[in-house]
Amino acid sequence: MAATFASKCSRVGRSLWGGLGNNLSGLLSASHETACNHFLSQLVLEILQQQRTFIQMRTVLKVVDNSGAKKVMCIQALKGKKGARLGDTIIASVKEAYPNGKVKKGKVVYGVVVRAAMQRGRCDGSEVKFDDNAVVLVDKQGQPIGTRVFGPVPHELRQKKHVKILSLAGHIA
Amino acid sequence: MRLEKCWFCSSTVYPGHGVQFVRNDAKIFRFCRSKCHKNFKMKRNPRKVKWTKAYRRLHGKDMTQDSTFEFERKRNRPERYDRNLTENTLKAIKKIDKVRATREAKYIERRMTGKKAKELREAQKELEQNISLVKAPALLKEDPSLTLPIKVKVSQKQPEVQLMEE
Repeated sequence: MAATFASKCSRVGRSLWGGLGNNLSGLLSASHETACNHFLSQLVLEILQQQRTFIQMRTVLKVVDNSGAKKVMCIQALKGKKGARLGDTIIASVKEAYPNGKVKKGKVVYGVVVRAAMQRGRCDGSEVKFDDNAVVLVDKQGQPIGTRVFGPVPHELRQKKHVKILSLAGHIA
Repeated sequence: MRLEKCWFCSSTVYPGHGVQFVRNDAKIFRFCRSKCHKNFKMKRNPRKVKWTKAYRRLHGKDMTQDSTFEFERKRNRPERYDRNLTENTLKAIKKIDKVRATREAKYIERRMTGKKAKELREAQKELEQNISLVKAPALLKEDPSLTLPIKVKVSQKQPEVQLMEE
């Protein structure tokens, strides 16, 4: 895409400046090259940093407790039309699990999103975002299945009545 | 309520402003505005970006060691409210601010001493080295060989104006 864009640019440039001297066109192409480089770097940046959005159907999340599951895939967000955000509850299917864990592969479980890469507004108007999408597995009543929680969790979980997860967590952000 | 410092530009982040990013090892990066957040995402080093406080401190642009900076410090123990203490603190803030501003101005003044002399010196050096590139107009008058031999007369302007009118 970038290449076609560049060629188009240069063609337009030639036709505009065609009547002028040879050395001038050379100078023009040099300037085009730098412009193209800039464009390419922008493109690379966009690919590296994908736009992070809601946790929706088929989002794979890391499990950050000792329930026995490694990775789960979201199959339903229990809140929100577009999907779940930080602190929301989802229904998920276990895709990877440790042997001899409480939760087996293929089971359908409930989970609370404790870290989300999409930023979420805080009550004071600032925003918070995390490195990855992570979930803590809970039962239908909202009690965590595991007995430990790894990594940082947001303090918004208190408003969502997940005090147990907060007390298990090592770091609260 | 706490006024945090921006991780990138070291400016104050007031409540309700900016974005905070929590890394998986629970380190919190606070940013005052999207400019700083974007620069962080581009993996820029604040010590190498000229407009940040970190750069200015590192390169001796700003005053770094001063007793007025000691007042603004992170304290983990919350202070018990005392009306008199608060009143005195609010009075002191203005005074300290004034002291700091004068000291900073003095620092910059001291930093700039000798700049004019240095510029003059450099200009003189450039003049000496590159005088051959230009010839002064006075020299052209003295030496007629440097001027153009033919003088062009510019007097026939009337017919041109008439053509324009037609």
